[in-house]
Amino acid sequence: MAPVLPLVLPLQPRIRLAQGLWLLSWLLALAGGLILLCSGHLLVQLRHLGTFLAPSCQFPALPQAALAAGAVALGTGLVGAGASQASLNAALYLPWRGVLGPLLVAGTAGGGGLLVLALGLALSLPGSLDEALEEGLGTALAHYRDTEVPGHCQDKRLVDELQLRYHCCGRHGYKDWFGVQWVSSRYLDPSDQDVVDRIQSNVEGLYLTDGVPFSCCNPHSPRPCLQNRLSDSYAHPLFDPRQPNQNLWAQGCHEVLLEHLQDLAGTLGSMLAVTFLLQALVLLGLRYLQTALEGLGGVIDGEGETQGYLFPSGLKEMLKTAWLQGWIAHRPAPEEAPPGEAPLKEDLSEA
Amino acid sequence: MALLKVKFDQKKRVKLAQGLWLMNWFSVLAGIIIFSLGLFLKIELRKRSDVMNNSESHFVPNSLIGMGVLSCVFNSLAGKICYDALDPAKYARWKPWLKPYLAICVLFNIVLFLVALCCFLLRGSLENTLSQGLKNGMKYYRDTDTPGRCFMKKTIDMLQIEFKCCGNNGFRDWFEIQWISNRYLDFSSKEVKDRIKSNVDGRYLVDGVPFSCCNPSSPRPCIQYQITNNSAHYSYDHQTEELNLWVRGCRAALLTYYSSLMNSMGIVTLLIWLFEVTITIGLRYLQTSLNGVSNPEEPESESEGWLLEKSVPETWKAFLESVKKLGKGNQVEAEGTDAGQAPEAS
Repeated sequence: MAPVLPLVLPLQPRIRLAQGLWLLSWLLALAGGLILLCSGHLLVQLRHLGTFLAPSCQFPALPQAALAAGAVALGTGLVGAGASQASLNAALYLPWRGVLGPLLVAGTAGGGGLLVLALGLALSLPGSLDEALEEGLGTALAHYRDTEVPGHCQDKRLVDELQLRYHCCGRHGYKDWFGVQWVSSRYLDPSDQDVVDRIQSNVEGLYLTDGVPFSCCNPHSPRPCLQNRLSDSYAHPLFDPRQPNQNLWAQGCHEVLLEHLQDLAGTLGSMLAVTFLLQALVLLGLRYLQTALEGLGGVIDGEGETQGYLFPSGLKEMLKTAWLQGWIAHRPAPEEAPPGEAPLKEDLSEA
Repeated sequence: MALLKVKFDQKKRVKLAQGLWLMNWFSVLAGIIIFSLGLFLKIELRKRSDVMNNSESHFVPNSLIGMGVLSCVFNSLAGKICYDALDPAKYARWKPWLKPYLAICVLFNIVLFLVALCCFLLRGSLENTLSQGLKNGMKYYRDTDTPGRCFMKKTIDMLQIEFKCCGNNGFRDWFEIQWISNRYLDFSSKEVKDRIKSNVDGRYLVDGVPFSCCNPSSPRPCIQYQITNNSAHYSYDHQTEELNLWVRGCRAALLTYYSSLMNSMGIVTLLIWLFEVTITIGLRYLQTSLNGVSNPEEPESESEGWLLEKSVPETWKAFLESVKKLGKGNQVEAEGTDAGQAPEAS
């Protein structure tokens, strides 16, 4: 039964392995901490921008998965640092001997699984952001005027603050506001002929104007903000509606938010990839260190050479031993114990 | 009659020196904190110097920066002294310098306390500068094509949006200045001509405000023009309408911001001052207890440490005497011949 990927480890390379592992473990802990911070930041951003994403959007799952993966990576890093430091000292290593095996299994399964999940989400979810933003922003703009309707009364304030902070106007441009009734009917004078004309000329009975809310205004413009009658070239001196409008923010909020969220997701994704690599290295190193020290039987400072390996035997052998172990446990008194079982039992106690 | 005498044996002395060494290094950290607080305040003042007429006083942040640097220097020196204090050979090197060094430390603590007080007291001058600066800023709001003032519109707009304020004391300040540039006025319109003629200085004044005064929390779209004309807008009463525009004036908003900043910095500086006073007192005890080791061959012996050798009035009298001697000493040198007066004077 040949061990899988064996590596001969005399004393000096063992010490080097432990030292290098200690450094890598602290790097892994740092990366885990950074992921925690980054996903926390993304979660806070999503809380503010949640109104502009469609409710069916799965994007918030990404920072939540990354949070869990970051916590596990941080834990793995700390465990690795502790174990590698203890492996240099026989007295300190004793408590680690029993714990290290299950910890490695937990780290590989739990940590690796979470990281892969988070990476997968980081690659697949940003694609769905486009539709979610389209739907969310459309709803928010349509409900801008509903400041008295429960459930939508904050929409006006949120859209205004979005446009002021992110320097954008409308969904794809300021003309989106021309197609939405953003003035509540409560503040429309029913006796005003202009209002009546506008409402009657529209199929759905909406009051549409060629004006935009104040939050679209660009403070960098040299003239006081022009918000109304933007399609009328005679309404304001020195104003030509056919020229690009310097008065208002040129970008649409859809593009701005999409870029912002995709940047955050991209940063998170690259950090997750780096952590995945670091975690794989740390777990491999810990496994080799553990099996090498087991080979010495606890005499850590001994000058003896020992072999470190990934698995004590090949995959087929491992499955056979695992099945046989289960079979022996269910058959309390085996009458014919094959001679091959005794050395098998020794291998089991070793691994 | 020494002031606050404390007995020290060798172990206590060693503990004092070690504790002081640690405290001095924490104090270096505290000095870095004061330095960064001063730097932060300086940057914040610079960021808004446009609305303060570029004449704001940088006394507080400059003194905080200076105090931070001095604190780092003095405390790392004191840390080195405390580290050497346990070794009689090394301590002998520092011994003659300790008394003047402690005097400098006391002076430094007094100045630190004064700087902390300044953080609380210099609010008044900031208020005046802000008031003047904002008035001028609003005056130049329309001069977007005058070089040197073309950025004022953007500055005031961003200020009103960020600090949620309008005008100097309130939005009515905008009614008294012409904030719309003549370039964008249609002089063929009767309304424009009427307004300009009705005004003594020929200015175009409106009862309107720039868009940056608008409050996003208002349930209705922002009413910027004809604010005092109730009939111009449907279902509108300007006396009772509170949510339409920001109610606060920018002077009050900026003053609150800078006051809270300076108050918190003052509190942090006071706490650090208390820490520094403790360190100075500890250093004095260390110095006197080490000097009190009567027999240098027996470093294990007990000694006494005190703050002042004699009580406060006696020390003050001795101090005055030494100052007088200094003065009389010069006089005697100048006279030269009258030897009989010298013994009487001292």
